[in-house]
Amino acid sequence: MIDQETTLKLQAYLDGELPAPDAERMADLLEHDSGAQALLGELRAIKAALNGNETEHKVPESREFYWSKIAREIERQEPATLLPQAGRTVWWLRLLVPAGAVALLALAFTVVLWPPSGRSWVALADGHEIETPEEETSSFTFRSEREGMTVVWVDTHRN
Amino acid sequence: MSEKLDYASAEDEALVKAAQKGDMQAFEELVARHRDKIYARAFSMMRNEDEALDLSQEAWVKAWQRLQQFQGEASFVTWLTRIVINLCLDQLRKQKRMRAESIDQLDEELGGVERQMPVVTPNPTERLERSELRGRIDEALAKLTYEHRTVLVLHEFEELEYKEIAKRMECSIGTVMSRLFYARRRMAALMAGWKREEVP
Repeated sequence: MIDQETTLKLQAYLDGELPAPDAERMADLLEHDSGAQALLGELRAIKAALNGNETEHKVPESREFYWSKIAREIERQEPATLLPQAGRTVWWLRLLVPAGAVALLALAFTVVLWPPSGRSWVALADGHEIETPEEETSSFTFRSEREGMTVVWVDTHRN
Repeated sequence: MSEKLDYASAEDEALVKAAQKGDMQAFEELVARHRDKIYARAFSMMRNEDEALDLSQEAWVKAWQRLQQFQGEASFVTWLTRIVINLCLDQLRKQKRMRAESIDQLDEELGGVERQMPVVTPNPTERLERSELRGRIDEALAKLTYEHRTVLVLHEFEELEYKEIAKRMECSIGTVMSRLFYARRRMAALMAGWKREEVP
């Protein structure tokens, strides 16, 4: 009985995958070993039987139905292939939220560090101005450059 | 202005070129022409109609997505067959991970029983009509484990070398040789059994 290594070499010999020196030794073995000859005969018969005799299994669906599933899947997956491109167009949108937060923080710091002055002036036509000091909401100052005049109202009824 | 393609009579190469430019109708014609072959290869590996349908259709979808990579070194149908084989192998690997291997399978992997089997007959398939032979080969293939069937399909039907099969099945060349040997011996035994049944 031939050993495991020889049986696999015998098969490789049949398949044309045995290197030349090994193939020569196998040919010698086959000349005088009936067991090897019988085994090779069986393997060769199966190989020959399989050659060109695969059963032709046909798609058990109509052409249209079979294709429709493929077409649907292609259409479904096509937008996915475009996603990286779409991602490039909206990258700045993703930055909008953190950028807005930074801007708000900067504004808050500015207000804290440099608070608005206690007075604000409202410019009127013809060089007139009205001052409304925030810390003294009970007084208003009217100044006219043209007339060279300043009038201050003090609301004595408040507080 | 480009000439309108007559899909039904166009060669595969022309249809592939048109499909590479985004012509879905050309691709549909390719599907119609080769769908049986691709389905048959999936079926021969999976032995399950639903899985073969799904995997063959998935192969066509992948082919459409990778169409630009097809340079025509092999025929379009050969290229597509490789895609469906890879999908089937992936699926079989997933299934294998989900089920425990039987003692028989382990024994086969270790190379035990097949070498003790006597040679059944010099030619177990002689005197069979071709259609009958095909049917019996199909039935015998269905009785093999998926590792043995796959190696046999890849070697005998796809004509891949041991090295290429080992690469695709992610195993050693020695394992491929062992599985192929077992698969052939088992096929011989199965076919001889049927032959004896029909002898009066």
